[in-house]
This record gives sequence, structure tokens and C-alpha cells, in this order.
Amino acid sequence: MSRILCVDDEPAILRLLAVILARDGHEAVAAADGRAALQALRAGGIGAVLLDLGLPDRDGLELIAAIRAIAPVPVIVVSARADVQEKVAALDLGAADYVTKPFDGDELLARVRAALRGGAVAPASPELLAHGPIRMDVSRHRAEIDGRFVALTPKEFALLRILVEAGGRILTHGALLEAVWGKAHREDVEYLRVVIRALRLKVEDDPSQPRLIRNEPGIGYRLA
Amino acid sequence: MTSRAASYLQALVAVAAIAWLTTAWLPVLGLASSALLFLLPVLLASSRGGVGPGLTAALAGAAAYNYFLLEPRFTFRVHQLDNLVSAIMLCAVAVVTSRLATRLMAREAEANERARASEEFAALSSLLASGSAEQVLAQGLEFMSDRYGDTRLLDQGKLAAGEAGFSSLDISAAAWTIHNGDMTGHGTETMAAADWTFVPLAPRSRSESAVAALARPRDGSVRAPAQLNQIRQLCLLLGQCCDRISLETERREREILEESDRLRRTFLASLAHDFRTPLTVISGRLELLARQSPEAKDALLAAQRLDRMMADLLGAARIEGGSLSVACENIDLVDAVSATCDGLLLPAAIHLRRSIPPELPFVTADPVLLHHILANLVDNAVRHARSEVLLSARAQGSHILLSLEDDGPGVPQAERERIFDRFSRIEGSDRTEGSGLGLAIVKGFADAMGMAVTITDSRRGGARFILTLPIAPGQPA
Repeated sequence: MSRILCVDDEPAILRLLAVILARDGHEAVAAADGRAALQALRAGGIGAVLLDLGLPDRDGLELIAAIRAIAPVPVIVVSARADVQEKVAALDLGAADYVTKPFDGDELLARVRAALRGGAVAPASPELLAHGPIRMDVSRHRAEIDGRFVALTPKEFALLRILVEAGGRILTHGALLEAVWGKAHREDVEYLRVVIRALRLKVEDDPSQPRLIRNEPGIGYRLA
Repeated sequence: MTSRAASYLQALVAVAAIAWLTTAWLPVLGLASSALLFLLPVLLASSRGGVGPGLTAALAGAAAYNYFLLEPRFTFRVHQLDNLVSAIMLCAVAVVTSRLATRLMAREAEANERARASEEFAALSSLLASGSAEQVLAQGLEFMSDRYGDTRLLDQGKLAAGEAGFSSLDISAAAWTIHNGDMTGHGTETMAAADWTFVPLAPRSRSESAVAALARPRDGSVRAPAQLNQIRQLCLLLGQCCDRISLETERREREILEESDRLRRTFLASLAHDFRTPLTVISGRLELLARQSPEAKDALLAAQRLDRMMADLLGAARIEGGSLSVACENIDLVDAVSATCDGLLLPAAIHLRRSIPPELPFVTADPVLLHHILANLVDNAVRHARSEVLLSARAQGSHILLSLEDDGPGVPQAERERIFDRFSRIEGSDRTEGSGLGLAIVKGFADAMGMAVTITDSRRGGARFILTLPIAPGQPA
């Protein structure tokens, strides 16, 4: 399907990634450091990048910016560091998503699929959005779950629309707040919590065990 | 005494000289000019020696004038009233001149004293500003000792230890100065019988824990108020120097602390990285194997447990190192519980049930720490349960009680305190899969966020852990 550039200094991880990616028919291109990664990227044909932040030759966060400057490919951070601030920093710097080591193969493939979708060309009609059971008609301000119409307030609609457009990629609290409420409210997480809860009551089968709108503690929300 | 006698002698000598001069040159000078010349020794004596020598010169001059110059000459007889008037004139001049001279001299002395004081102030402040605070403070004390006698700095620690050479009166005087910011001891109005004078190091408004002590002057004299005032000003300079020292020390200590904290973080981060990289390979390969042979699932569960242990070790190191920073925000418990339970790999025989009402008010917590707490509590319950674990929550007053029940063997009453200690396991328990850190971290993180965690019996027969979370402000309770 796609050529995925895997950047990691551990050969065993690179081999593992190649096997996992092959399950979805992707071809893995290996790079052991930042220099090799940028070189492979310039050669072209790369659909997405799986990037370890602890590289021997340069800072991983810095490399995200360098990669995005060469080609607008989605970058998924694959890191052993569980530090929440670092993940948020990577996402704010333009990373499409992140996966923490040790990772689940299916989860990794789901992230790659979501990232590749986000990078694909815009659908024929940008007014009609879909993700899983959700259908949205932006021009008519209509949303349906499994064919059932749900009435949403403007804020709920705006929030759901951004999540659907991200297509399963994680969006940080800051990014969601900025998109729906504006830059001045980047820190007001409780606004987000209130609207997410209201949205869940309308779109989830069981709002106490949400299946659609998932939370990553301290980081943000994504659609399943 | 000798200088006083000398000025009387000078007055008499001067009068004698004028008497000799006028007697010898009377025909040339005339009587009136000669009389005026007798003013000279009076002015001289009264301006240099004061009233006594001045009056001596005036009386001696009047007598000499009468004896040597007035008719009948060489007798003390007074013929005319104007002779008496001239004697009185001489005395009056002597008194007035000496008064003026005395006042001038006092002014001059005062000005000299003030100049000297400001010179000393300038000298000490330039000394104290010139180098590292510790060094110059020692030089400043030396400066004070040279000018005002033995000077020391006393802080409360030294006083409490009973610094050698201080009587109990001295110690009370020093304590008074520290508490009230007044000068006490020798030369002052408070506890004047003390051997030392105690001077505060800071203006009255600030409480200071140190004080300067100056020994009583060796010559037995008592310090004048002006000198005490001067000493007080100089001690304020010393106080500023002490402030500089404590600021520098504080800054150095903070730097050392920050540096060691940074080193520890770097070390823990690289430890986690080095540990998780091979673990990723192991669990990734096991996951692939488990697709073909279900037995590999046990190994996969074990690998996941290893990762949780690593997280626990890192958590324990953060609690231990005191570098646990808490960033609380409003959290929906539905989010926190879902993030913990979704995608959790459970042993086949165990069922995890959740009952979190979706309308519960938000709580205040650090999302990352709370996630770790819940993961450990769920892990603990799953490991001890026979078939079922129940996660539920309800509001009570201004708190939400999150409860985790299992149907396992439970925790005996005697063990309930101890179970949150590190590496503690229940006596006789054959379950040895935990790291022994999980519940200690639950307790440590809960403490850091100001939450309580307790154990009771579950109606299902097993243990029931209750985490008490504060409801976020502005929420309906």
C-alpha cells in the first residue's frame, strides 16, 4: 500500500516494524539515524514516518520540524519515553500521532491508517464527512450516528467535526480548544470536558463506557 | 591637666610681655593705645584656653595696667572711676570671647566627628562591596574591631549553644536585640550592666536572627550616644553583607538541587528507554506468535507486567526523589476510567465491570498521576480476583468515592495499614506477581494530590479499595 519510513537506532525494532507493517501490505524503509532519515525522505515515495525520539545524532523533536519542512508526510512518534509533556510537544510541533513503546501491533497499524487517511487528498465533497458510524453534513449542520439524526449545539458540532476530520488521529486539548473556542482559551480544559460530556450523551450508546470518543490522559481526544 | 595649667601660664606670660612692652614704650604708644594692647592677651587666652585663662589674663592685665601705667605709677591705687571701668571692660571681653571661642571649637569638633563618621561609613561600605560576601564580612568585622573593640556576629544558634565569654545577662541582652531590634547592653538604656553592646543588623521593621556584639571599651569609658549611633549605622552595613551571604548560599543550594534533579530525570529517562526497547521487541514478537499459538498470550501478559513494573519503579523514584510535580485540572472520571480499562488485556477468567454514572461532577486531579493510580488499583484487583472486579463511583458531600472491589481473598484487618508500604505482601499469600511497589505508588501519588485511599471489605468477599477525590470547584456536588 504505502512506503513507511521507520527511524530507530535499534535494528531489532526496525525488523519488528517491518513485519507488523507488512500485515497491512506496507513496505518499511529503515533509517538508523536522523541523517539517513532525511536522505530517504528526499529520495521520495514515502507515505508516512514512524519516528523514535531518542536518536543518536539529533533531537527527535527537532527532526519532526526538519521532516515536515522536506515533505508534508504524517509523522508518528514511536517513543519509549512516557513523558506527557514530550508527547504534547511533539504533537504541537506537527507530529500526526504517537505510539508508546512497547506498542500493540494492531494499535500501531490503526494509527498508521488514520495518519495516511489524514494525508490523503480531500474527499470529492468536503461538505460530507464520515468516520465509523458518524456522518456529518457541514453545510446543513446535520449529524447522524448509525443513520440516527442527533441534534448538536454549534460547539458540539464544531468539536465533533474537528475530531471526524482528524479521522482517528489524536488531537491535543490545546489544539481542540484553539480550533473551537479560539487561541485565548487554549488552557481552559474544563470547557472541553463539558462539551465532550454533552457530546457523548448524544452520540455514545453507553455514555459511561464511551466507545467513540476516546481520551488519552493529559494529552487529548481521538475518535476510535 | 598639664595643658590647662599651660594655658594659664601662657595667659600670664602674655600679660607680662604686654606690661613690659607698654612700660618701656609708654611715651611713644600713649596711654589709650597701651590699654588697648592689654586686650591682646585676653583675646588670646580666652579663645585658646576658655573662660578661666581669659579671666586670669583680664585680671592680671587690669592689675598690670594699673600698676605699671596709671598715675601714680607702680602702685595699685585707683584714682579715677574710668580706671575701674577699663578693668571691668577687660573682664567682659574675656568672658564674651571665651564663650564664642568655646562654641566655635565645639562646632568644629562636631564637624570633624561627622566627617570622620562618614569617612568610616564610606570605608566600610567600599570594603564590603569589594569581593565575595564571606571574605568581606570577615574584613568588615576586623574593621569594626580595630575601631570600636572586639566585634563578633552572634546568631541564635550560637546563643543557644552558649557562646563562650558571654554571661547570662549578655545572652538575654542579645536575645532582646534579636527579638525587638533595639540596641542593648553596655552604653545603652537596656541592660546597661552587660559587658557587651549588642547591635541589630537590620532596620527595626525586619526581624533578623543575627546580632553584632561589641566588647566594652578597654579603657573603662562608656560609649557616647553619638558613637553608638555610628556603630548602629555600620552594623546595618554588616547586616546587608550577611543578607548577601544568605542569598548567595540559597542560590547555590537551589542550583545544586536543580542540577541533581536534572541528572536524575535524565538517568531515569534513559533507563526507561534502555529497558523498554528490548521489551518492545519481546512483546512485539510474542504478539505475532500469539496469533498462531494461544500459549504465547501468557508470555505477552508477563511482558506487559514487566512494563508496568518499570513504570512503577520510575514512579517510586519520582516519589523518593521528591521531584513529583502535580498539575491538577478538571477531569471527567468517565475519561480517567476508560483510559485505564479500554484495551486492557485481562486473564480469561476475570471479568471487569464498570459502573461510573455519566452525570457525576468533574474532579480535580493530575490526569497522569490519576491514570497511574487507577492502572495499579485495577491491576492489583485483577491479580487477586477469582472471577470479577467492579469499578464504581458515587458522590458524597464535596467528594467522589471511587471504589474497586474484587471477589478474591481480601486483606486481613491487621495488614491494611502495612499494605501500602513498599515491597509488602500479605503473609502466606502465594500471589507473587506484583512488583510490591504498585500500592505504595497508589498511596504516594494520592498523597501528592491530597487524596485519601482506604481499604475495607467488599460485599463480594474480597477487598474494596476506596479513592476519595475532591469535586472540582464550581461543580454541583
